[in-house]
Amino acid sequence: MPHRAFFAFIMPSLLAMLLFIALPIVSVAVQSLYVEHERVVTEVETCAPFAGCTTETRVDAEATEKLRDAEPLGRFNGFGTYLDRNHLATAEMNAILTDNAGFADVASRIYNLPFYRALAFTLTYTFVVTPLAMLLGFCIALGVNAIPPFYKGPVIFFSLLPMIVTPLVGALIIYWMSSPQGILGATLQSLLNDSTLSLKSSAVLTWVTLLVYGVWHNAPFSFVVFYAGLQTVPHDTLESAMIDGANRWERIRFVVIPHLMPLATFVALVQLMDNFRVFEPIVGFSAEANATSLSWSIFNDLRGQVDQLFGSAAATSMLTIVGVVILLSPVLVRTWREFNRR
Amino acid sequence: MIVNKRRRPLPLTVLSTTFVLLWVLMAAFPFIWTVWGSFKVEQDFFSRDSWWFAIEGSRTIAQTGSAFTGDGYYGAWVLRDFFSSVVNTVIVTLSVVVVSLTFGTLGGYALARSGYRYTFWLLMLALVFRAMPHITLVSGYLLPFFEMNIWGHLPTAIIVLVAINQPFTLWMLHSFFLSIPKDLDESAMVDGCSRFQAFRLVVIPVMWPGVITTGLFSFLLAYNDFAVTAMLLSQPNQTMVPKIASFLGTIQQEGNVMFAVAAVVSATAPLFVLVMFFQRQIVSGLTAGAVKG
Amino acid sequence: MAEIRLKNVSKRWHNFVGVDNFDLDIADREFLVLLGPSGCGKTTTMRMIAGLDDISEGEIWLGDRMVNNLEPKDRDISMVFQSYGLYPNMTVYENIRFPLRVRKVPKELHHEKVMQAARMVELVDFLERRPAALSGGQRQRVALGRAIVRQPAAFLMDEPLSNLDAKLRVSTRAQIKNLQHTLKVTTIYVTHDQIEAMTLADRVVVMNKGVIQQVGTPTDIYDNPANTFVASFIGSPAMNLVSGDIENGTFRGPGITIGGLQINVKGPVTLGFRAEDASLVFEGGELGAEIYSMELLGEATMASFRMGDQLVSIKSGKEYRAEIGDVVHAAIPASICHLFDARTGVRIARTPGN
Ligand SMILES: Nc1ncnc2c1ncn2[C@@H]1O[C@H](COP(=O)(O)OP(=O)(O)OP(=O)(O)O)[C@@H](O)[C@H]1O
Ligand SMILES: [Mg+2]
Repeated sequence: MPHRAFFAFIMPSLLAMLLFIALPIVSVAVQSLYVEHERVVTEVETCAPFAGCTTETRVDAEATEKLRDAEPLGRFNGFGTYLDRNHLATAEMNAILTDNAGFADVASRIYNLPFYRALAFTLTYTFVVTPLAMLLGFCIALGVNAIPPFYKGPVIFFSLLPMIVTPLVGALIIYWMSSPQGILGATLQSLLNDSTLSLKSSAVLTWVTLLVYGVWHNAPFSFVVFYAGLQTVPHDTLESAMIDGANRWERIRFVVIPHLMPLATFVALVQLMDNFRVFEPIVGFSAEANATSLSWSIFNDLRGQVDQLFGSAAATSMLTIVGVVILLSPVLVRTWREFNRR
Repeated sequence: MIVNKRRRPLPLTVLSTTFVLLWVLMAAFPFIWTVWGSFKVEQDFFSRDSWWFAIEGSRTIAQTGSAFTGDGYYGAWVLRDFFSSVVNTVIVTLSVVVVSLTFGTLGGYALARSGYRYTFWLLMLALVFRAMPHITLVSGYLLPFFEMNIWGHLPTAIIVLVAINQPFTLWMLHSFFLSIPKDLDESAMVDGCSRFQAFRLVVIPVMWPGVITTGLFSFLLAYNDFAVTAMLLSQPNQTMVPKIASFLGTIQQEGNVMFAVAAVVSATAPLFVLVMFFQRQIVSGLTAGAVKG
Repeated sequence: MAEIRLKNVSKRWHNFVGVDNFDLDIADREFLVLLGPSGCGKTTTMRMIAGLDDISEGEIWLGDRMVNNLEPKDRDISMVFQSYGLYPNMTVYENIRFPLRVRKVPKELHHEKVMQAARMVELVDFLERRPAALSGGQRQRVALGRAIVRQPAAFLMDEPLSNLDAKLRVSTRAQIKNLQHTLKVTTIYVTHDQIEAMTLADRVVVMNKGVIQQVGTPTDIYDNPANTFVASFIGSPAMNLVSGDIENGTFRGPGITIGGLQINVKGPVTLGFRAEDASLVFEGGELGAEIYSMELLGEATMASFRMGDQLVSIKSGKEYRAEIGDVVHAAIPASICHLFDARTGVRIARTPGN
């Protein structure tokens, strides 16, 4: 295809991506260097007879508004936002590292810094949910592959539901069921004989609930991909293995798993990307007291109706983007090498 | 895969069947339970004493005279104006699907047919864009959109969703187009079509399965989105998902959780129907080497 | 090392019969070839012996074990698949080693055995490659190497040469024959190529539609076909078959009369003779007709005649020349003729003294 035709065809799509994905990233980068104007404060001197003169400071709402209109970005702050307590918190980290009482102390103090707290949960979620969901999906695929064909359709139908459902809605459904008044929460209470047990009451329980939800939500994707992969396992190779003396497990290990490996890489990549932006479950489970994620912190900064913290949200966004790039880099480097070899 | 079903040892069969049953229960039960419970009153569905009430519906009978009640739905749809957000959702999702597919088929076709190196880089760029958390992009939009006075309107959300959707749509359609032999459009061009005519008259007609599958995933992305619609739409323009989210805050104080339950069930029902009719396409789409919606 | 016995083995899918009442004893160290047209149940028979398909009826014995209910891996056999069935993720070396590995053969023996097998199939230079980087013939040899790396009770080979070009096929055929001779392992070999069958086999089993048609040595099958199916399947060109009537030892068909045949047979029969056994003559003979077509085969010339609705071919020396439409005669002595029942197609035995 000649260049001109190519660009004519791809233009609408490319333009949309540049305008609404590339440009916003630039916009975020710029915003992260600015911070909201402080309120304009005027000193007013009121002199009353007898009492003498007093000076008062007052917020000049009108001037503040005017300033905000004139410079909507706020004032330039350089990398100040990145380093403040709500983000990388360099000063606090320094203090913690120079003066602490052992590892547990360091960990708990770092965990109290909002950014690291969000990062901790985001990473845990990404790297716990992804492998577990893939494992569960693989097991389901093996199981479903062995049931009579007649039941496969309905089983696949139900298996798709947790994935296809709106994340926020799915989270709400599980949240309601696991609340102390819901069927799961109540059953747990009576099983463990602890009427105060609530999944929200402790950080650990909240994390566990969110992770379980994540596995539930993500497993179907792995399942479907692996199931389709199982249908294309070369029959001859499998039978060769049978005759060569491989038992059931060895056949899975030496024939099926190698065949599914490229699919597994693909699933892992997609799931890592998706799980790294975990966000809706935290809203759905109202879990922000015990677990926050990077995406949720950005959302939280932007949500304030009166003063949205654009600078702070932008800084977190930039840090998140760096995280995504680090996450993707092995794939990008590998693809790049393969591409150059060709 | 396993050739001899009959020789499969019994314990293994029992184990794997139990496992599959357990999974199906795990996958389906929350939905069945919530759909069932949405026709009860709050004291039944969120019973402090026993979940058995939710099954019997004893308080529902006491309060409304029948074991099932549509109060939750009435509250959500009529009292809380869930209806208008449904209309908004229909507008947004349909527009996103149509525009995404138009842009995507054009771009995907170009990527599949051009032999130049830059197609590879474009696909890699799309992959990186695909990985961007949506909320980070949203934080880039807000301020410019406020300044340009386009914040809050449906078209803004639509075009943003289309753009966010493009990387994935491109990848998926690109791989579908690759599976259509080049000879097809080349012979059409020899027969006298322009490139675009060949695309429209010859390639697209045989691409329908791929286009439908991709359309389904565009639909799911737009329908399930929360980050973009919650932040970019004004209160009256809200779609279902942000509407449900905004329900939560207010309802909990007023004790009308059942409104939210009914809204949640209403928002999930179309997805059930979708999976029921398009199960095959969804499965093929997920495995087309494409990306999850 | 073992003999294989199939006792009235049948395979059915619902009401379709894939293999019907297959009954055969295969001697130890025998090279047995299953031959038949596509879809006749050769692969199915082999897969039942291997344990890859269940048996609907009958018994299979390997040596003194009844193996009907044994898993493939417990039957102690090796198999070469038509499309090789190699492990794409493993190197050639690992592919050949695999049976030793999963059968828990002591590790220290592996290398020696693998190398020995690799030498036999001439793969020593390719051990580090993966199957994807090999040619068809090399892949074929990997599959062979994997089969011979241990000493199984039997080799099963399902059309192992069908993906090779003509030249490679000849050399690999020789290699297989030689390997079997060296290793002295009972071998069952499936093919639909009769030359392969003839050159390799100790005994050939001809099958059609799931039923055994004839079991015998290659010469036996060629010289004394048990019925019209075998007669028309074996040989190139196939045996000429002419239908007609016989009375008092004289056969009469359309344009053909042969005397001196069995006198105890009477009524409609099918007469068969091979193109190379008959000869063209200028005068007399049992057949006289116009030439329908002439084919120059190189080492011979073949003339065809239309007799009723059948085509009869007769070979002659390579210098023989005649034009289409010429009337020629052919000598078809009674000694080269075979008689088959017109209805069942079964051979009518020559009674002694005839
Ligand atoms: N799983 C099955 N279900 C139903 N019928 C089958 C099945 N497998 C094979 N058949 C049928 O059984 C018959 C014998 O098949 P088989 O594979 O043994 O043929 P074959 O002699 O090996 O032929 P070829 O030379 O083409 O490989 C065929 O008619 C085939 O259609
Ligand atoms: Mg076969």
